[in-house]
Amino acid sequence: MLAVGLTGCTESFLDIAPETSLSSVTFFKTQSDFEQAVNACYVPLRTIYNDRSWLLSEQHSDNTYYARNTAFGATEQQEDLADFSIPVSNGLTTNTHVLNQYRQDYLIIARANQILALIDKADFDATAKANLKGQAQFMRGFAYFELYRYFNKAPLQLTPVTTREGAAAKMGTAADLEKIITDDLIGAAANLKPKSTQEAGRATSGAAKTVLANLYIIQKKWAEAEKLMKEVVAEGNYSLIPDYNNVFSTSTTNKNNAESVFEVQFQEGSNGYNGTFMYNFLPRPMLETELKTLSGTSNPQPQTGEGNNIPTPNVIAAYEAGDLRKDASIGYITCSSTLWEGKTYPIIKKYMKTHSLNGNHGMNWPVYRYSEVLLFLAEALNEQGKTAEAATYMNMVRKRAGLANTTATSQADFRTALMQERRVELAFENKRWHDLVRTDTYKAVITAYGAEIKANPFSYYYQKGYTLRSNSFSVIEKYYPMPADEAALNPNIK
Amino acid sequence: MKNKFYDLRMGNRTGGLLLALIFFLSSVAMAQAQNLRGKVSGSDGEPLIGAAITIVGTTRGATTDGSGNFAIDVKNNETLRFSSVGFTSKDVVYSGQKTLNISLAADNKTLNEIVVVGYGSQVKKEITGAVQTIGYKELKDLPVTQIGQKLQGQLAGVQINQTTGQPGKGMNIRIRGQLSVSAGSDPLYVVDGFPITGTIGAMNPDEIEDISVLKDAASTSLYGSRAANGVVLITTKKGKGSGTNVSFNVYTGFQQVPMKGRVKMMDAVQFAQFKKEFYEDAKQPVPVEFQNPSQYAGKNNDWFDALINKNAPITSYNLSITSNKEKSRTSLVAGVLDQKGVVINTDYKRYSLRLNSAYDISDKVTIGFNVAPQLTYDNTPRTDGDRGTGILFNALHTWPIMPIYEADGTTLTKFNRFPASTGNIFAYANWVRSAQELVNETTTTNLLTNAFMEYEPIKGLKFKSSINGEILRTKFFFFNPSTATSAINTPIPTTAVSIRQNIENLSWLNENTVTFNKTINEDHKLELLGGYTNQYFRQESTQIQADTYSDDRLPTIQGAININRGSTNSGVQEWALTSFLARATYNYKGKYLLNAAIRRDGSSRFGLNNRWGTFPSVGLGWVVSDEAFMQDMPAVSFMKIRGSFGEIGNNNIGNYTQYALINNTVNGVFGNNVAAGASVSSLANPNLGWEKTRQLDLGLDLNLWNDRVNFTYDYYQKNTSNLLYSVQIAQESGFGNFNDNIGEIKFWGHEFGVNTKNTTGAVKWTTNANISFNRNVVVALAPGIDRVYGTFHITKVGQPFGQFYGLISQGMYKNQADVDNSPKIPGRSFPGTIKIWDANGDGVITYGGNNDDRVIMGNPFPDFVYGITNNVTYKTWDFNVIGSGSYGNQMLVRHIYSTANLDGPFNLLEEVANRWRSESNPGLGKYGTTVGGGNVTGIERDWINSRFIADASYFTIRNITLGYTFTKPSKVYKSLRVYASCQQAFVFTNYWGGPNPEASSGGGNTGDGGNLSQGVDFSSYPVPRTFTLGANFNF
Repeated sequence: MLAVGLTGCTESFLDIAPETSLSSVTFFKTQSDFEQAVNACYVPLRTIYNDRSWLLSEQHSDNTYYARNTAFGATEQQEDLADFSIPVSNGLTTNTHVLNQYRQDYLIIARANQILALIDKADFDATAKANLKGQAQFMRGFAYFELYRYFNKAPLQLTPVTTREGAAAKMGTAADLEKIITDDLIGAAANLKPKSTQEAGRATSGAAKTVLANLYIIQKKWAEAEKLMKEVVAEGNYSLIPDYNNVFSTSTTNKNNAESVFEVQFQEGSNGYNGTFMYNFLPRPMLETELKTLSGTSNPQPQTGEGNNIPTPNVIAAYEAGDLRKDASIGYITCSSTLWEGKTYPIIKKYMKTHSLNGNHGMNWPVYRYSEVLLFLAEALNEQGKTAEAATYMNMVRKRAGLANTTATSQADFRTALMQERRVELAFENKRWHDLVRTDTYKAVITAYGAEIKANPFSYYYQKGYTLRSNSFSVIEKYYPMPADEAALNPNIK
Repeated sequence: MKNKFYDLRMGNRTGGLLLALIFFLSSVAMAQAQNLRGKVSGSDGEPLIGAAITIVGTTRGATTDGSGNFAIDVKNNETLRFSSVGFTSKDVVYSGQKTLNISLAADNKTLNEIVVVGYGSQVKKEITGAVQTIGYKELKDLPVTQIGQKLQGQLAGVQINQTTGQPGKGMNIRIRGQLSVSAGSDPLYVVDGFPITGTIGAMNPDEIEDISVLKDAASTSLYGSRAANGVVLITTKKGKGSGTNVSFNVYTGFQQVPMKGRVKMMDAVQFAQFKKEFYEDAKQPVPVEFQNPSQYAGKNNDWFDALINKNAPITSYNLSITSNKEKSRTSLVAGVLDQKGVVINTDYKRYSLRLNSAYDISDKVTIGFNVAPQLTYDNTPRTDGDRGTGILFNALHTWPIMPIYEADGTTLTKFNRFPASTGNIFAYANWVRSAQELVNETTTTNLLTNAFMEYEPIKGLKFKSSINGEILRTKFFFFNPSTATSAINTPIPTTAVSIRQNIENLSWLNENTVTFNKTINEDHKLELLGGYTNQYFRQESTQIQADTYSDDRLPTIQGAININRGSTNSGVQEWALTSFLARATYNYKGKYLLNAAIRRDGSSRFGLNNRWGTFPSVGLGWVVSDEAFMQDMPAVSFMKIRGSFGEIGNNNIGNYTQYALINNTVNGVFGNNVAAGASVSSLANPNLGWEKTRQLDLGLDLNLWNDRVNFTYDYYQKNTSNLLYSVQIAQESGFGNFNDNIGEIKFWGHEFGVNTKNTTGAVKWTTNANISFNRNVVVALAPGIDRVYGTFHITKVGQPFGQFYGLISQGMYKNQADVDNSPKIPGRSFPGTIKIWDANGDGVITYGGNNDDRVIMGNPFPDFVYGITNNVTYKTWDFNVIGSGSYGNQMLVRHIYSTANLDGPFNLLEEVANRWRSESNPGLGKYGTTVGGGNVTGIERDWINSRFIADASYFTIRNITLGYTFTKPSKVYKSLRVYASCQQAFVFTNYWGGPNPEASSGGGNTGDGGNLSQGVDFSSYPVPRTFTLGANFNF
């Protein structure tokens, strides 16, 4: 009885939207909304480059290995990648690093899809819109390019998902992926600002062209690659930094420098934008006093567990005599408490920069540098028979390294010299495995490399009396198997 | 922005109350009530303590005090009903006398008790649902601080486990085994008609008059979308008795952790011997520290024991004043509790007050106010949790050769470390220091209030309007100084961290009900109820985390060098609920019973397309013993058959789950600039709704031989569907999951309760016993998904919920031939390593993935739970024993991944000494060889297997109390009872994983948490054995 007449405002009483979070219904309207959405597209790159890329592309090659700590277990996920022994079953793997790389790439794709589905309809300044749309296209193209290189196939998700049923997408072939990547990056190259006017650290038209050239080179579309790389050179926004030591960012400075085409941005501090990869690359156990010589922090802490991404004797031997890049790229540290009797390990000096807080640094990760643009151009020219012209570009890189001009004159010799040059110039920058795959040399190189470790495990940081696991070097495959956890959720993944 | 906290969305919500107020105040009819005093005694002349006096047709009532005296306000021609357990009740029509002495004949009829049910009360005999009531008397002596602890073992169909011994925490109450994948499963707690939003963990048990537990749908459906987990109705003490009664209850005692039940770890000599053998077996030089194990004789360091407070005091005082005057009834309970914990530096204090008052402002209008402020303070070191989280786990596996104290007895201040050459790969802090120095304190202030008016314009028609408010402020402060840590492998000095958290909850409820009672032609009894209610809840929280202090003595925010932005945040949680409810109760001659109820709930939590839910129920009863044909069976003194069916909901689905939210903290970095970033973080579901439970209950109440034996049986069957389920979806979508109502679980069970009066006369011995069998099976999960994996569990269609999942250990490989001829792990199986059952028969042992060899290996749910209480009184002596137990459930012992780590970084279980060392010395077959390094030895600890599973059946004597009553009044008191009590007296169990077979907590991964991962022992705070002496004074 008393209730009569009290129900009129019931519905508004029950309308309670979250106060501390916006809802997607009200978002994606203004320029600021799209700016924020674009910024979020870059975020997964921090995870990818800090945690996964080096495991899948560098330690999964003859450039780096792990430093086995026999007192420490639960390390097989990383070791399986370095030892070419990831579990494979029905074309699927349970390796967590493969899974996480895959998921982070799709996180970029999903965020970019949201933007690309709505940005054309939003009403704001056309110039700003083009630059934002270009970044979304770049990020999506880049993420699909990663999937293409790792898996050579992947589900095609090109629009935002809104329902449970929409989550599992159809598989795309290599050709499908090539088309998406090409379309997105051509669009990005047209929409994005060049480096000279773009905010430092964002994708540029030059970066879009470089990623696309990388795809063309894999596709052996040499003329298209040459054209793009020449455009980037002609832009005049890029140059080689005279001293190779100064190419790489420190924890706070020298970021997005003249040689940088695209790099993943980190920032030291407690806001969560920092990297920790330098610590992953330390041999362990390491005392705090030993760490302090590398990190320079006031609060160094002893490092336990197992070290990864330790340069191999194989890559150290790859440097020519007099190559200035060798000492700039590789340093040494003695770990007095390690069980490995050798005690003194090589480390990736490129990334060993002092910083303020233990376990927290701000070095950017170089994804593409101008020296690679020059080497791409040299490769594209050589493959079209223009070996002499190619040599001028490669020699620019060699000169900076303190080396004489290349002596290779035949196309075949030059090809070999170029791949060697790429290995040392771009060592520890997650290029090696992809180069072995695209030149189809991976099987021979890795098989020989495996034999080398098995013949002398001690030189590969095994304690005396220990050797590799018996399944090592049993799975040398061109592409990674798809992640089993995702196949369980998407029946199209096979 | 306006401050929404005080806006409260009241609007027109409280219109009913205002209307009612005007209505009441305009009422002029006044009838004079008399204050009646008297005494109730048995036919032998002995005073009856706690006898109930009710005025028929009202909810007014009183009970007799320690001398059998009572006082009650009563009007002419009202019927007084006198009743007491074990006696025939007697009705007297009041005719104006001042005193009235009543003698009741012993008859043992308990059926006319008034039982509190949802939105009212009912005569026990006429109830059609499954309701169990427990009174203050059954709860009063137990020296425990939480209501949940007092209820352990006393309720059929209710499983109550104490998962941790941390003071004031850890009671896990499940009614009829209810659970859900991701929605909450705690019952709804209703205090004096107010569904509270906090927990009852901190409520002073002395404030409670009685507790009704509503189990079936007919009893709970008036609570609609919140009823599916069962409802616990708590009624606080009201003014009663005659005049003013003052009583004072005090107990004091101490708590201990018995040696029995502790994990048996190696001592210093055994550990050094293990390490020596470790190096010898590996054919490596033995580090100098282990070459002579006997050097550690007499130098053992028991880290676990060092954290135990040997005799932790506990003291409680409660003052209770009740007064029953003409036209007013008040009750005041003031309590102080001071408890130290059995882990050092644990401190728990509670100061509570409750003032309940009611005033008859006319003979038609009654108003009342209940106010209950409370303050609790709690400091508990970070004791519970997995390795590196809780200091108890850390202490358990810390090397016993590491000294705890300096030679002079002070706590070792230096960082505790053996050189890495000894295999000490993790850094340890001194856990005793950590317990002493970590600040982890919570201060809670709570105010619970009710105000109500009742208006009865004509006899039988009653309007009631109430406003209820709950304010709960929680202030949390954590400080980790640079000298201590609860983490493992964090060297000292560490980075000092402070966390400050303030949470403010506010909830209000306005309820407006009308009831109509009518008895037609003596035989037809009808009661109708209608109601309209609104409830609103808002929580505001802030947290500030700061670190890197230059001085541990000043853990201020400004004293920190760094504010941790990722952990500094503010939040708001809100919900609103609007409901209509109605009930009709009818019976014919008290013999044929019908109860029908319905509630309609609209909730802000439900999706826009699905905002209102309807929850109906019906209950039927037949008092067979009242039929003429039963008169030939005098042995049967009472028999009732009852049945009910209804649909109820669970709305614990989160406040904003239906929305697609934007996370605006996904910031990008460009050069030196940080740029705000935002992304869609969840998918919207406008159809999201409550979890739906349909429940059938069939019951039998049977009393034999003049109620000497009272037997109750219930069978229930429940189907919970539309489970809130975060369905994992392909992450190509950019999302990990989609929140949906999906899946179904079926529950069923049998509950038996029996009360017997074994002896009467001088020695009165009664026994209450109950046993419940709860079962469940998962009927469906999401389309295309038939299982959810946790770290240690699987929930799979066709199987019971949350089963332990892992490999089946078959001991160790005997020798190379055994390895060669058996399924194995490529490259990781050797003589002396764990041999595992190749469940899928493919010849290769695989953990996870497509060729998984894991199988269901255990069940955390018991076959049955049971309780038994015996009470014996002889003259002025009383003796009470309560026991409860659980049978057939298993526990996963988490710590053996450390305490049986064969690589020697941690201290080990004593029995690891008896491990595989060679073919001729294979040990127990439980622990493998230490040779081979982590990739080999790690299998048995990292691949969850059946070795982790322990039988966790137990029977615990919860309480033994012996009391003596001085009946002769002294100058100081009217009566005095003194008692000695022992709580958690004995635990009978084969459980070997730790001192508490009731421990249970979940992990943190997908498929973990809450119900999905029950029965994992992460080494929680021990539940103490408590010895107390107490006294109850009546003045």
